[in-house]
Amino acid sequence: MSLLKVENVSRQFGSLIAVNGVSMTVEAGELRAVIGPNGAGKTTFFNLISGFLTPSSGKIIFDGQDITHLLPARRVWRGIARTFQITEVFPELSVRENLRIAVEVASGYRLRAWLSSTANGEVKARVVDLLEMGGLAPKADRLVGELSHGDQRATEIMMSVALNPRLLLLDEPTAGMGDQETYDVTQLIRKLHKDQKLAIVLIEHDMRVVFHLADKIMVLAEGAPLAEGTPKEIAANEAVQNAYLGKAA
Amino acid sequence: MTQLLIFNMVNGLIIGAFYAMMALGLSLILNLSGVINFAHGGFLAIGGYIAYTLIPFLGFWGALVAAPILTAFIGILIERVLIRRLYGRDPLYSLLLTFGLAFMIEDGTRFIWGAQSLPYQIPDWLAAPLSNELFFLTGYRVFMMVLVTAVVLALFLILGRTRLGLRIRAGTLDLETVSVLGVNVRVLRNLNFGLGIYLAGLAGVLAVGMLGLQPNIGDSLIMPSFISIIVGGLGSLPGTLLGGLLIGVASGVTTVFFPSASEAVIYVIMAVVLIVRPRGLLGEEGRF
Amino acid sequence: MLKLDKRSADALVWLALLTAPYWLPLIGGYTELGSRILILALAATALNFLLGFTGVLSFGHAAYFGLGAYGAAMTIKYLYPSTPLAILVGVVTGTVAAAVIGPMIARLRGVYFAMCTIAFGQVFYFIAFQWNTVTGGDDGLTAWHRMPIDLGFTSIDILNDNKAFYYLVFTMFAVAAGVMAWLLRSPFGRTLLAIRENERRARFLGIPVDRHIWMSWVISCCFASLAGSLYALLNDFVDPRALRWDQSGTFVIMTVLGGMRSFWGPLIGAAIFIELQDFLSSHTENWESFIGLFFVLVVLFFPRGVLGLIKRKSTS
Repeated sequence: MSLLKVENVSRQFGSLIAVNGVSMTVEAGELRAVIGPNGAGKTTFFNLISGFLTPSSGKIIFDGQDITHLLPARRVWRGIARTFQITEVFPELSVRENLRIAVEVASGYRLRAWLSSTANGEVKARVVDLLEMGGLAPKADRLVGELSHGDQRATEIMMSVALNPRLLLLDEPTAGMGDQETYDVTQLIRKLHKDQKLAIVLIEHDMRVVFHLADKIMVLAEGAPLAEGTPKEIAANEAVQNAYLGKAA
Repeated sequence: MTQLLIFNMVNGLIIGAFYAMMALGLSLILNLSGVINFAHGGFLAIGGYIAYTLIPFLGFWGALVAAPILTAFIGILIERVLIRRLYGRDPLYSLLLTFGLAFMIEDGTRFIWGAQSLPYQIPDWLAAPLSNELFFLTGYRVFMMVLVTAVVLALFLILGRTRLGLRIRAGTLDLETVSVLGVNVRVLRNLNFGLGIYLAGLAGVLAVGMLGLQPNIGDSLIMPSFISIIVGGLGSLPGTLLGGLLIGVASGVTTVFFPSASEAVIYVIMAVVLIVRPRGLLGEEGRF
Repeated sequence: MLKLDKRSADALVWLALLTAPYWLPLIGGYTELGSRILILALAATALNFLLGFTGVLSFGHAAYFGLGAYGAAMTIKYLYPSTPLAILVGVVTGTVAAAVIGPMIARLRGVYFAMCTIAFGQVFYFIAFQWNTVTGGDDGLTAWHRMPIDLGFTSIDILNDNKAFYYLVFTMFAVAAGVMAWLLRSPFGRTLLAIRENERRARFLGIPVDRHIWMSWVISCCFASLAGSLYALLNDFVDPRALRWDQSGTFVIMTVLGGMRSFWGPLIGAAIFIELQDFLSSHTENWESFIGLFFVLVVLFFPRGVLGLIKRKSTS
């Protein structure tokens, strides 16, 4: 059974059809990329999967269960985590505190007024793990709002990993980053994919990142699916080239 | 019985129109600038007091015209000097500021004009009832109704047909884009605030003719304004208008059956709306 | 500047509060003033649980403060002359009201939420005003007083002994502040911080935001109503002014003045504000204008508050 099955979803805003009949199947452990020119509806597509929006039509099935109308928080509980185009973290808390909150919520402690020293110890250990994984250990006690863009993104990604998701949605993780930061984030994503065996779907504009990471690529243009295939196939696809570069005269 | 009901419904409509006018002023400011002007009641009082001061010089009608304009000027000044500084910040601060202003205005009016009720003279022919049958309808109430209707219509015309109105409406939806398009947002906010305060000032002048003039006259009227907005829907001016009329009429009708509950009923309506349709009757989704 | 770590600072504050009746007279104060400051500080601290730590803009806290006050006063006057019972009833009244109103507004945010809290505050003001047969209306509820606490083997005369009453207030404050501080340091408390910092991210970590806001709201109003009960006992009197919008505004300004992001901010803010209010009202009839001016000045020039300023200075 596929992990995620998006069946012909559409989303309208008044007369604007942002997403038009898009389907996608993701198997456990896959790394997919969704690309397309600006305004293609990629983020809206993510919003539908993560629960930020509900589709005007179509179904979303995660792990065999219909989650089409499920609230975002509940989808998190089911195993879907996401990052946002503009990094969403807790700016006036330290990296450690950011991760700690994520771990505590993921462990089911969100209503607890007290933790036993064992539980506390486990939480702390997990936070240390995540800090190491994300290369954030040296900055653990600094306020996230003061960190570089790349480190903020890494924090956000590690917070999402803390939730033990089975599907991780990354919306333009390298947006606004220079070469070094892009490289670091790409390496992080690759490591997570391999070590944690997560299914990852990412939206990206940076083609180097896409071709470096993705098993399969889906191209959206103007809300509708344009092509789907391996990186090699997509690179050779004329329709895709046209969508990005405009039709040759 | 029916006569009593009609009396109270008409009365309620008049009061409701009045609440609506004040609430519209509050709503204008809230929608464009995100500021809850807690001092709105204070400006209403200022309107009344200025009118009172002007009557010996300009007469009833002169004061009616001049006082709201002067009040609006005071509002524009306050916006320019104080409120403007808080736009980027947490709404907490602008609310605290207007709280403080409300204190200052209430105490200030008491200081300048004294704490007792002051007599406000309206022309005799207005004060007289229309006829023996319609004893409850004094000319003043009719006049008020007519004036409020005219002003509200004018407001919607300004918003719908003039450039200023267009900019205000656009700014309510997306202030950033409006500023990028070259509109001077500072001036726009300032004028919008002035417009809102004009309505408060006018409400004040009209109110004192009916309720008499005391420093805390704004107090009893600010809550119905809040509730008009909550009931009618945040972000919607027609909603605010509807909300005001609705609670006015509801209040009037309730007076017939449960006189002591006539004020309580507006809070009940608010609670019901919040439970059943939190965005308000005509409110836009996602506004909050 | 003397640098204190958090533990020492906390200990110092508790020590100062514990011994207040003894050092207050030395600086021109008196025990009852200490009780008053502590009670209002409790209300402000309760508000700050919601405002400074959960990031929720509540402007109608006087409602629950006032409900606590009326609950306590009416218990002694009409039900049974017992101080502990009065406090209990006051707290239950305020908390239940908050629990019921909470769901109506927990979905709202920002200015809209603030408006609704103000409106609901006025509901109770209006009731207290109108229902004058029971509540005494505008004149307030008189002809009652706080009762000595009968512990069986001894009786604590909080009626005549101001020190004893202060220590009752101190005990309540200590318990309430202790619980709030403890909660804020717990996993649950951290979810509230998360909501304050970034509601969207909190939601996408799986935190049911509306529900947690409701819980924070109820906790906050519960302790505000405790403060209210004590306030009624302090004055042997309660009137609708305890429920008015200006009382709500006072709590907020105390919190902002002391520093919203610190636990002790509201206490400091309360102390300063009450001193200022006492000073002004004894020197001029127009003290309300000056208080209003004070609000304006704090907002424009001092938004981070006393402790916010100190924190900044110590990190730079």
